[in-house]
Amino acid sequence: MTTLHGLLVDLEPFVPAFHQEKMHAYWNNESRLWATMGDCEPTTRAQIARIHEERSGARERGYTGVHFMMRARDGNIIGSIGLNWVDYWNRTAWLGAWIGEKDYWGGGHGTDALLLTVDYAFRWLDMRRLCLGTMDINERAQRNVEKAGFRFETRERKAALVNGRWIDALNYGLLRDDWPGREALVDQLGLREKAERRYGKGD
Amino acid sequence: MIEGKLVDLVPFEDDFAIHMETWMNEEAWFRARLWERREPHTEDDVKKFIEKMEKSERGALIGFQSKDGDPIGGVIFDHEWQRVRKADAMFFAGDTRYEGTDEHLDGLLMLLRYCFETRNLHRLDASALAFDEVRIDLLRRAGFVHEGTLRQHIRYDGDYVDVEMFGILAEDWPGYEQKVAALDLQPSGIEPKPKPEKKDDKETEAGEAKS
Repeated sequence: MTTLHGLLVDLEPFVPAFHQEKMHAYWNNESRLWATMGDCEPTTRAQIARIHEERSGARERGYTGVHFMMRARDGNIIGSIGLNWVDYWNRTAWLGAWIGEKDYWGGGHGTDALLLTVDYAFRWLDMRRLCLGTMDINERAQRNVEKAGFRFETRERKAALVNGRWIDALNYGLLRDDWPGREALVDQLGLREKAERRYGKGD
Repeated sequence: MIEGKLVDLVPFEDDFAIHMETWMNEEAWFRARLWERREPHTEDDVKKFIEKMEKSERGALIGFQSKDGDPIGGVIFDHEWQRVRKADAMFFAGDTRYEGTDEHLDGLLMLLRYCFETRNLHRLDASALAFDEVRIDLLRRAGFVHEGTLRQHIRYDGDYVDVEMFGILAEDWPGYEQKVAALDLQPSGIEPKPKPEKKDDKETEAGEAKS
């Protein structure tokens, strides 16, 4: 079982089309700035291919990250989510998400994906703490991660540069002992209703 | 060499490397590199670490020594993010006699001086285990600002402990000369340790004949 089934999204293994087409789009649209704290330089297909090739050998060099492709319930590939750094010794992992399609911002896709990933990290990787970072100006992300149980922990002053402005970076942490479980949060956040409104009644 | 008030920054070469096998197995090392596994570091691990830092394009390991030329420890900047001009700052007194002394503090100040005044960095990050009062005191005296706490972030001796996170911006840094004058640094008067004997023949073959 390497697909995690949610209500608005499934988290799946990457397919070649993601790296060949989607990554090129995401690296050149607005989503990149939000996902990377300000990166936005135009990036060619050849550069993307090189980055992908470099990354695909990373595991052999000791890279511990685990990443999923995000597919919305309508079948569209919309982004990725995963653990950028899994520290098995300290049982801590850093979580990162990237929704490259603006039509899928808001509406619960990111929250659904986040809950699946947290659940996976605690239940399969035996993490006991998760961290994630975002920017001061990304209020949507702050709302979403707080709703999912993360607590604000640090404010790194002027740690990001976005369109010529220094921006604070915020870090959040979630302890496994504080996590009410995915099911409880799905209910609490009304994800079933959100899925139904967007995609109609399903299984 | 970059000369400071109580310590000088020097290339991390043989005089330092010869101590590093001891230093990398000291508590001080794991307090500075707090996410690392608590495992013995062999001669080979030490060599690989020094080589890795030498080759790094995003960081460096630099030695700091007393005015008598006594190697004290190392300062490290790492994971330099060029676009944002920020890096992680680390420092350790491998010779634990210097732990918490003004020489130790000056090592950190010299790292800040190098990062802000030579490398033109904008921001440095630093961290300390919550109970590591010596390190936290040094960071605060150097001008780092406490920016929050990562809860139960690091495994430590049967427990999971909080990590205090600190940051300093170039605009917080008054300049080395001014900082040193304000702190009134005083030498600890610790006697330099005897120079250790070189322990294998390879170095003699490489032309550094023992006298």
